[in-house]
Amino acid sequence: MRYGGEGRSRLLLIVLIVSALFLITLDLRGVGVLEGARQGTQTILSPFQRGGSVVITPFKNFFSDVTHLGRTRNQIEKLRSDNAKLRAALLNRKNADAQLLKLKSILDLAGTAGYKILNARVISQGSSQSFSQTITIDLGTNAGIKKNMTVLAETGIAGVVKEVYSHTALIMLATDPAFRVGVRIAGSQQIGILSGRGSRSGRLQLLDNQTTVKVGDVLLSRGSVANRPFVPGVPVGYVTAVDNSAGAIAQSATVHLYTNFATLGVVAVVVGAPTVNPGDALVPQKPQPTPLPTVTIYVTPSPSPTK
Amino acid sequence: MITRQLSISTPIFILIYGVQEVVVNQFRLPAGGFSVFLIFALVWAILSTPDVAAVSGFVSGLLMDLSPSASGPIGQWTLILLASSYAIAYFGSGNENVKGNPVGVTFFISTTVFFTEILFVITGALLGVQTGSFGQVLLTIFGITLWTLVITPICLPVFSLMHDIALDTRSKI
Repeated sequence: MRYGGEGRSRLLLIVLIVSALFLITLDLRGVGVLEGARQGTQTILSPFQRGGSVVITPFKNFFSDVTHLGRTRNQIEKLRSDNAKLRAALLNRKNADAQLLKLKSILDLAGTAGYKILNARVISQGSSQSFSQTITIDLGTNAGIKKNMTVLAETGIAGVVKEVYSHTALIMLATDPAFRVGVRIAGSQQIGILSGRGSRSGRLQLLDNQTTVKVGDVLLSRGSVANRPFVPGVPVGYVTAVDNSAGAIAQSATVHLYTNFATLGVVAVVVGAPTVNPGDALVPQKPQPTPLPTVTIYVTPSPSPTK
Repeated sequence: MITRQLSISTPIFILIYGVQEVVVNQFRLPAGGFSVFLIFALVWAILSTPDVAAVSGFVSGLLMDLSPSASGPIGQWTLILLASSYAIAYFGSGNENVKGNPVGVTFFISTTVFFTEILFVITGALLGVQTGSFGQVLLTIFGITLWTLVITPICLPVFSLMHDIALDTRSKI
C-alpha cells in the first residue's frame, strides 16, 4: 500500500516535470497559444493595474521620499541655492534676458527633432524577480502604439515597446540586461552598441578598433531601419569611465544614462519619426559657468583737513 | 484529495497573484524588492504534503510565467517553483524544528527564495534569458532574500491562517 502511494507520488512528480518541460519547449518554438496566454493575462490585469496605480501613487511617492531621503534633502538644498541664484539674476535685466533665452532653447529642444509623440502614464512597474526591467503604460494598440517603438523620458531615452496589448503596452527599459541600442558619439560620429546592465549605468562597446572614446562624450541613438525600434538623435547618456584594457578588440566604456528610471511617471512614445535626421540637435547643453562680476572701486583721497 | 485541495487553493493563488501584479509591482523597491506571491507559494508548500506542494508549485509557477513582465519562456518558473515547492515540503515534512517554529519557517523560506533565484539564473542562462552583470545578479538575489526575510514574518500568520481555513489541515504556524 505504502509502496503504491510512493509510486503514485513519483508518477505525479514526473508528469508535472514533463509538463513544465513541454511548456518550455512549446514557448521556445514560438507556439502562439502560449504568447496569447500572456496577452490574455495582461488584458485582464490592465484595468486593475490602472486602478491600482491611481490608488497607490500617494503611498508610492511616500515610500520613494523615504527611500531617497538623503537625495531629497540634497535636492532641496540644491533647489534653495538655485532659487537664490534666480532671485539674484532677476535683479539684473541682462541676466534675466539670458535666462529667458536659455528657457526658450530648452522648450524648443522638444520640437527640434520633429518627433511625433504620444504621452503615456506609467501604470505598473515590472517585477524584478525575473531580473528584467520593464514598465507598463496606459496606451496600447487602440492609441496607435506598435511593437518596437522608441520610448522617451524627459531627458532622454527610456526604452522600447516590447509588447503591445489593446489598452496597455509593456516597455523594456534601457536598464534591462537584454536592452541593446545602436549609438553614436555626438560630434565624432563614432558608432557602438550600448547595453543595459540592470542599473542606471550602461555598457558601451565601440564597433571600430581604430576609434577612441573619452569621458564626457555624449551618446545619441543611431536610429534603425524605418526608424524602428529606434529613431535617430535621442540623447542616451554620457561616458563616465573608459576601459582601456590591453588586448581588447575595441574600446568599451561605462555610460551614465540620462533618464532617471526610479522616478518614471510619464513617458512619450515616438509614433512618428522626423523626415530629416536631427543629428546632434538634441545633445544636452553642458552647464555654463556663471561669470563672476568684478567690481572696481576708485578711491579719490579727500584733501586733508586743515586746522 | 489533491484535486479537492487544488480546486480550493487555486482561487486563493489567483487572488495573491493579483495582489502581487496590481499592488506590489507598483513599487520599485531597492535591490529587487520582494514577491508576496513567491512567499505565499512557499508558505503554502511548507504547510502541505510534498505531493500537494508539487501541484501547488506547478500552478503558482504557471501563474508567474503568465506575468507579462516575466522574462523567461513559459514553463521556466513552473519548473523552478515545482522543484522548490516539492523540496521545501519534502525537507520540512516531519521536521517540527522548522514547521512548528515561525522563525525556522522564515529562515527556511528565505533560503528557498535564495536558491530559487539562483536556479532561475542558471536555467535562464541555459535557456538564453539575459539576467545582467554578475554583480547586479548577486545584488538582486541578496536583496530579494533580505526582503523576504523581512516580509515573511509579517505575512506568515495571514498565509498560515488562509491555509488553515481553506484546507482545514490545522497546520497553522
